[in-house]
Amino acid sequence: MRIAVLSGKGGTGKTTITSNFAVNIKNSISIDSDVEEPNLHIFMDMKDPTSEPVYTLYPTINKDLCTLCGKCGDFCNYNAIIPAKNQVVIFNESCHDCGGCKLVCPTGAITYEKREVGKIFKGTTKYNTELYYGLLNIGEMSGVKIINQLKKYSELNEETVFIDSPPGTSCATVAAVEDVDYAIIVSEPTPFGVSDMKMVVEMLREMEIPFGLIINKAGLGDDEIYDYCKDEDIEILGEVLFDKKIAELYAGGKIFSDSLPQYKNFFSDIYKNIRKKRRSL
Amino acid sequence: MKISICSKNKGLDSLVDERFGRSENFTIIDLDTMAIETVENIAKNQASGAGGEAVKLLAKYNVDIAIVPHLGPKAETAMEAFEIKTVSQEDYKSVGEVLDAYKAGKLKEITKKKGLTRL
Repeated sequence: MRIAVLSGKGGTGKTTITSNFAVNIKNSISIDSDVEEPNLHIFMDMKDPTSEPVYTLYPTINKDLCTLCGKCGDFCNYNAIIPAKNQVVIFNESCHDCGGCKLVCPTGAITYEKREVGKIFKGTTKYNTELYYGLLNIGEMSGVKIINQLKKYSELNEETVFIDSPPGTSCATVAAVEDVDYAIIVSEPTPFGVSDMKMVVEMLREMEIPFGLIINKAGLGDDEIYDYCKDEDIEILGEVLFDKKIAELYAGGKIFSDSLPQYKNFFSDIYKNIRKKRRSL
Repeated sequence: MKISICSKNKGLDSLVDERFGRSENFTIIDLDTMAIETVENIAKNQASGAGGEAVKLLAKYNVDIAIVPHLGPKAETAMEAFEIKTVSQEDYKSVGEVLDAYKAGKLKEITKKKGLTRL
């Protein structure tokens, strides 16, 4: 079962919640798909990871074959390839590597070259679980390639995979939650948390992914999140209190249920609840 | 010879647009006949690469000189590839004012800013 953890708003506790699940659910692996700022491996204390590069392709033109007919430029949705007067301009970083320009080129003038967009790191954590995370190279515009590659590893595990997702609702988040069995939204009870969570709810409903909510930092802010969940019939899976002790553990890079054992059952009970729901679907 | 001016609306009284790739319209003026045409900028709603697409549009209308605000690095590269000269619109407010300033030789050609392109 693949479970994505997402939030909309940044800083609500996605990685905190993901790490607590990962250490309390046996035989689970975890994936950090927030490739712009991964940090699950810091909480989980990953030792000596190995890395592999992730590539994307971009077009190059054989000038002897190109007739400047313009078909590639008309086809490209991102203006990454623009046939001009005596040359074809290619903006490598705008290319989404769809392969379309080569297909529409009537003279076979287009071939592809590869460029590294980032890396995937894999290794074992202090908790003896497997962890994978991606890191996007500086200046690259899209982490989707890395996220899709990361998710291939989730197919290796038949038990449980926790996917720590990027904030927001853009292409990267869609890629992270695509094809998961269940999504856990982590929100905080503030106007900002609720506002961004609404976008996530809309996205998940559009993608037909079942989901529930964990309220983190409960006690902070106001009651809007409870009213919203009631109106929208969203299940609150559990609440983590706004607690100085938890904040201190977080600030020290610790997983809080390690030091606060009353939370161990909290995470395993939510997991059992989700499993039961999946079986009944 | 044809020139283009980034414009919010139609005609010489229109305000200039302060963006190039996402300019509302382009006013295209044939300096030989003084024929004026307003072309809607189809690139303005592109998710990305609007600058390049807008340059393509100007090339389609055989524009020789584009009078523009600040240009992004991609639009700059595309202008060069289509051999369209670029001239700064300075702080003039209306299309008519820009046209008069251009005809009076008050607008300067933009020289390529080296080192601004990404990747």
